[in-house]
Amino acid sequence: MGDGTAIAGLGMTELGKVYGRSPRRLAADAVRLAAADAGLAPGELDGLIVSHGLGGSPGIELADALGMRDLRLLTQMNSFGATAGAMVAHAAMSVRSGAASAVACVFADAPLKPKQSSGAAYHRDAREWYGFGGMTAALGLRSVNSFYALAAQRHMARYGTTSEQLGAIAVATREWATRNPLAQMRDPITLEDHQNSRWVAEPLHLLDCCLVSNGAIAVIVTSAERARDLARPPVHLWGWGQGHPGLRKERGSEWGLTTGAVASGATAMKMAGVTPSDVTVCELYDCYTYTVLVSLEDYGFCAKGEGGAFAASGALGPGGSLPTNTGGGQLSAYYMWGMTPLSEAVIQARGDGGERQAPSNDVVLVSGNGGILDHHSTLIVSPHPKGA
Amino acid sequence: MDIGVLRRDGRTDPFFDGAAADRLVIKHCASCDHRLTPDAGDCPDCGTTELAWADASGAASLVTWTVTHGRPAADGTVPPPAFLALVELAEGPWLHARLDGVERAELREGLPLRAVFAHPDEGEPYMLFRPWTE
Repeated sequence: MGDGTAIAGLGMTELGKVYGRSPRRLAADAVRLAAADAGLAPGELDGLIVSHGLGGSPGIELADALGMRDLRLLTQMNSFGATAGAMVAHAAMSVRSGAASAVACVFADAPLKPKQSSGAAYHRDAREWYGFGGMTAALGLRSVNSFYALAAQRHMARYGTTSEQLGAIAVATREWATRNPLAQMRDPITLEDHQNSRWVAEPLHLLDCCLVSNGAIAVIVTSAERARDLARPPVHLWGWGQGHPGLRKERGSEWGLTTGAVASGATAMKMAGVTPSDVTVCELYDCYTYTVLVSLEDYGFCAKGEGGAFAASGALGPGGSLPTNTGGGQLSAYYMWGMTPLSEAVIQARGDGGERQAPSNDVVLVSGNGGILDHHSTLIVSPHPKGA
Repeated sequence: MDIGVLRRDGRTDPFFDGAAADRLVIKHCASCDHRLTPDAGDCPDCGTTELAWADASGAASLVTWTVTHGRPAADGTVPPPAFLALVELAEGPWLHARLDGVERAELREGLPLRAVFAHPDEGEPYMLFRPWTE
């Protein structure tokens, strides 16, 4: 395949409670690490895509900080948690068209502050609020947690999904994390621990919610042909897609029950020439356990409404039929928006998973989810060239 | 969770004029008869930006809910939980809302609700939804 594209480099800074480095500094470090991982000098990169973030994320001035010159592609992108997949797809299309030849895609964020709770990073607080729009927050809907809780509760009421089924996702994800030296949370947990963890926003317990992390992750996208001659085994890009359903909040809406993963997954799998039964590893955006559950349904790994039973069957953990979030995901490893699932997908596709390496890495599905289930992206990657 | 102080924003003032008189006022698209939330800027069906204000009945039903719990304080005390929800107005639009006077056991999809207005000493009135039986 002459027009194939691949991820050739992965760069990850320290992740978690990393203080004293600005997001721009973290981003520059990650790009340098990714280039070095690929065996490229920074000067050999001719494209840079910077993800939007929350905690003062860098913009396109990052190119100056890195001393990059004569770029063919430089932009910032934002579809919130779906950005990583969108960046890689844009980079791949740029490479395929000949507009650029080696593109770095980077996410950096530092929302955590010393002596402040993780929740505070994604929580709005004020004494006064303005207008009808402000009334929602004034009345108490101030945290992303509350909005995802509304979605999860709706699924429970409609399909009989239970908190224990969500807990099965938290437990399986932590089991993977115990095998990942990069994970922030490595102590095993039980379903009982999940049930006993404090309520954040019913029906979500603390252990249904992701971590908040500082740090940066970058990948290098280039042609499959060039990637073959670089330092690390190519991670071939087989397909990509996005889904932004724009569900209105009004009578008849399916909000909370279905997401952009339906369209995004179908697009990516069609491009890759695979079906859900071909996927051997899933790296799903897991800002909440519920996001994993609804994504599994929307991708077609189980029927709508059966995500809870599927998760509780043990399919997702080590030894299960669909190894999912093999690094511990955002729930237990590190929260770098869509770079969490993407980085673990690269590690798995290279066979670098060590104790947590999945039995087959032939077809790895990566998801990104942004907003409150508003935006979705999908990548399908593999150690094998597409069509080989 | 404490309810914050509300101020007008110049764009949704008619909602607060209505609330002051215990009336729920929402947006209405005259050309396609679409009822929209008070902060809607244009009609997603026909695209008009000429939306009118119109009285709503105040009748609603519960779509989904959450009970939020603040972080425990250093002395272990926990703030009282807040019952927050998405509600469907009888006219069609959904609103993010706070429920008042509800028990966990009665929460269900479709629970009939009605808008009521609170008039705090400081700031604009705000809207709550209470279970309602005719």
